[in-house]
Amino acid sequence: MSVSEQRSGSILAVDFGNVQTRALLIDLVDGLYRLVARGETRTTAGFPANDARLGLNRVVEQITAVTGRKLLTNDSKVISPEQNDRSGVDYFVMTASTGRTMRTVLVGLVPDVSIASARRALAGTYVEIVQTLSLEDGRSLEDNVNAIISSRPDLIFITGGMESGAEEPVLRLAHAVQQALRLIKGGRKPAVLYAGNSALAQTMRDMFGALATIFIAPNVRPTLDEEELEGAQAQLALVYNDQQAKRGGFGALTRMSRNGVLPTAQSYNLIVDYMGQASGQNVLAVDIGSAVGILSAYIDKRVTTSIRTDIGLGHSADSLLSVVGEASIKRWLPFVSTTNQIRHYALNKSLVPGSIPETIKGTFLEHAFLRAGIGTLVEASRPTWSKQLGTNLNALTPHFHTIIGAGAGLTQTGSSAFGALLLIEALQATGVTRIQLDEFGVVAALGSLAYTNPEAVVQVLESSSLETLGTVFSVSGVPALNRPVMHVRIKTSDGQVIKHHVAGGHLWVYRLDIGKTAMVDVSAGRGLNIGGKGRVKVTAEGGTVGLIFDGRGRPLPLALDAQGRAAQLPMWIAEMTGNPMIEIPDEWLTEAKEESSALEMEAEEAVRKVKQRGGLFGGGKRKATPEPVPAAKVKAIKSNQLRPDLRLPDEASGDSKATVQNELDDLRGG
Amino acid sequence: MPYYPDQRHVLELTTIQREQTLPEDAIGSVDVRQGASVNLRDIVARGILPSRYVVIEAAKALRLKKVADLGEYLRVSIGEGVNTNTVLAEVPKLRNRRVLSPVDGVVADVNEGRIILQIEPESVELEAGLDGQVVRIQPGQGVVIETYGSVVQGSWGNSRRVIGTLRTEPTAGLESLYGEDLDIQFRGAIVVTRRPLRQTGLDVMEDQNLGGIIAPSIEADLIDAVLAVKGAIMLTEGFGSLRMSGLVYNMLNNFDGRQATLEAIQPNRWQTRRPEVIVNPSGRGASRAVRANVNQALTVGTSVRLTRIPHAGDVGTVVNLPKTPILLENGLQVLCAEVESVTGEKITVPLANLEVFGR
Repeated sequence: MSVSEQRSGSILAVDFGNVQTRALLIDLVDGLYRLVARGETRTTAGFPANDARLGLNRVVEQITAVTGRKLLTNDSKVISPEQNDRSGVDYFVMTASTGRTMRTVLVGLVPDVSIASARRALAGTYVEIVQTLSLEDGRSLEDNVNAIISSRPDLIFITGGMESGAEEPVLRLAHAVQQALRLIKGGRKPAVLYAGNSALAQTMRDMFGALATIFIAPNVRPTLDEEELEGAQAQLALVYNDQQAKRGGFGALTRMSRNGVLPTAQSYNLIVDYMGQASGQNVLAVDIGSAVGILSAYIDKRVTTSIRTDIGLGHSADSLLSVVGEASIKRWLPFVSTTNQIRHYALNKSLVPGSIPETIKGTFLEHAFLRAGIGTLVEASRPTWSKQLGTNLNALTPHFHTIIGAGAGLTQTGSSAFGALLLIEALQATGVTRIQLDEFGVVAALGSLAYTNPEAVVQVLESSSLETLGTVFSVSGVPALNRPVMHVRIKTSDGQVIKHHVAGGHLWVYRLDIGKTAMVDVSAGRGLNIGGKGRVKVTAEGGTVGLIFDGRGRPLPLALDAQGRAAQLPMWIAEMTGNPMIEIPDEWLTEAKEESSALEMEAEEAVRKVKQRGGLFGGGKRKATPEPVPAAKVKAIKSNQLRPDLRLPDEASGDSKATVQNELDDLRGG
Repeated sequence: MPYYPDQRHVLELTTIQREQTLPEDAIGSVDVRQGASVNLRDIVARGILPSRYVVIEAAKALRLKKVADLGEYLRVSIGEGVNTNTVLAEVPKLRNRRVLSPVDGVVADVNEGRIILQIEPESVELEAGLDGQVVRIQPGQGVVIETYGSVVQGSWGNSRRVIGTLRTEPTAGLESLYGEDLDIQFRGAIVVTRRPLRQTGLDVMEDQNLGGIIAPSIEADLIDAVLAVKGAIMLTEGFGSLRMSGLVYNMLNNFDGRQATLEAIQPNRWQTRRPEVIVNPSGRGASRAVRANVNQALTVGTSVRLTRIPHAGDVGTVVNLPKTPILLENGLQVLCAEVESVTGEKITVPLANLEVFGR
């Protein structure tokens, strides 16, 4: 029996992000795959090392320090297979989102058919579509040749032609590509991927074999009603790997792993598809990294993935601002700010993309970018959800049974409850939703195993490798502020019954630990619903946060002015985290001076920092989440008798209350 | 576990290796050999930037029955330069059956009855930019040059490069030069200003023919103007009214009057180089030059620069590295370092917000 057969199973999965390189060691524990160690370090593909292997060495050293297992040879190669002394691993898999996107020219017959399918096939890969050529654009051969050459592509993706359909139109476009490739000199020849009428596959090989590296995939659109994307996506992964191999240190890395380097986004596509199929429920995963935003949704038995290389909180912060616009950021800020102040924040963040905010204003700005970025990813996906949204066109998203958040902006807030709040607000979850965070980059890593070891994927996902935050119940519609809008009855596994009325415009959290479940019966107030129903009765799962009851309504009634938001946002944070509410100083709410610089703005805040109160989450004076109120007492709670920290500050924010109420009235058409 | 912070080099004497390449889309050749010594202004590579192609259906114009017959009637060959109205192909004795070049350019290809011309391409030359030795050739693209000297890296640049004399701004500031008689010492110079750069500073740049400016920061609404100027501009800190780090200013001030290369590289997510100014040493110092340590871990005693507001640009020394995450005033709970600033103040700073200088 060989060594690998005796000890088959250990897996080292490494994901190279734009800022962080993460590694997971997965191994068999009592016959089941489990996450046994992890490591994280800065990605070293850029200055000064320009070599991703240095980061790999560092992150693997971390795992060795924790487990005592030697994983690298003296010349920094991953030992594989696992040896009798437990050194090495049986599988080494890699994913990456770092590096330049593939500049791609799309070539197809009809925009709404083959080109549309090609765009969907590209959804799991980091590409920038720099040019599209179709029969309908009416361009001459000369125009097509110049369009291809001037766009400096890394990839030319040719589709078109149904199976057994006409060949001549596809060939006409292919000839333009061939001519362009003849004219591109030096080592910059793009790869060609053909995924059109399979009858032309050999012809394409003959046309391009001597001019470029050619990849052939099954037709993405074999008939008008059918779409086959998997084959093209698998070939795209190979093209991506081929590109990565040419970059700093990745060449040597790709040779270390049998599967090379897969695009991280493809992992989201694969894992969300698996989770959706396994549960039969809608699943959504969103990852906002430094440079790239990814949203994968399994809905109506189909997975769609959007990748935006212009949406990120670090490298792409400034492009995110351009995409979403200043107003989308301001709508999440509880203070007045100027155009330059917001732009300075974005520009400076893109210069030090791995940095984190140190001030309260900076934190609100960071999270405003996060919410706005996710909102844009959702907006981009909404057209494909129109069937599920049905008549409820006011909802940002259809109902998802499970939502997973990833990326440092969401997972490294220092508070699970705050991470949950950001996720709920950015996605405006509806109905009853289980929410999870992927702090360790598990989804990214598991995707690379999906083809070779699906058993490991299933077992690791089922072993609490994702942080379950809890279950959120969200009321849709326009609830009356401070009036009971959710009538909650919770029966715990030990028979305790808790009743609570959630007031409109507020959140209420019931602490229910990880692994525990409770029977939850919630009725929505008049004119409101929870996922389209007036009453839901479910067994709900707890988590690091617990059961969250969101009585704020959908769409989320954010105040239109900073004064109103200064009352809302800190209150919601306090309600979620159970900590004292941050006070927004009056001077933050007066008209900002355009010439006031970011430094001046933050310097003002630095002075304010001497205030004794702790901060967004209460600083060092974090308050424990209140114990559930005994049943006898619960009955005495009236709808308007909220905990003091759940009430709107009466005197101080009278105007703000009015603003919120005004907006609610506006929404109601009053 | 050791923590390896980001690096932004501020080094007084170090071995420097820098890649100098032609623009990404240029088609070029390298003019020097590996091991060659080069001076700042030496041309190390030349190339052409692709220009538009013109496709001429020559076989059709000559009314040929077979496109393959075109070769028989060609009057030019691939790679040959042509002018407007140069005869590209003709059928002898039939004067109306000829194909003339519509442009000045080069014959790029002849294929399937077509003649493809490339309009006169723009040529580019690549200067060494450093006094040093060519240690690697990247065929068709450029070279890697090794030298020794001082390097100060900044955070943003306007994509220009200039070689000039480093000059510290007058005591009254850069703006005080506006409208003054042309001061010979500033002509073509790279001027260091400690104050945020404003429009007046750009006006001075044009007025006094400055080669470059090194400033701590600009307001965001000045970006387009900074990108439009001919000279090179590097920001050491970033955007807003940020102050220049004392360490950086003092080092640049010490180089007053020295020849320097300012590479005002504009960062993007795929750019692996940093904007920087490199000063070749005045005397022999190669033996003392030490390569930057790319594997520098953070330890007590390490000199660091703080990158985020409210401490952006401050410099200090790590005095403590707590092993557990610290809850910050803004609620984030992260691993931090305790840093003593030059004023003696002790500040708790997230590790993610620290940079080291390369040694």
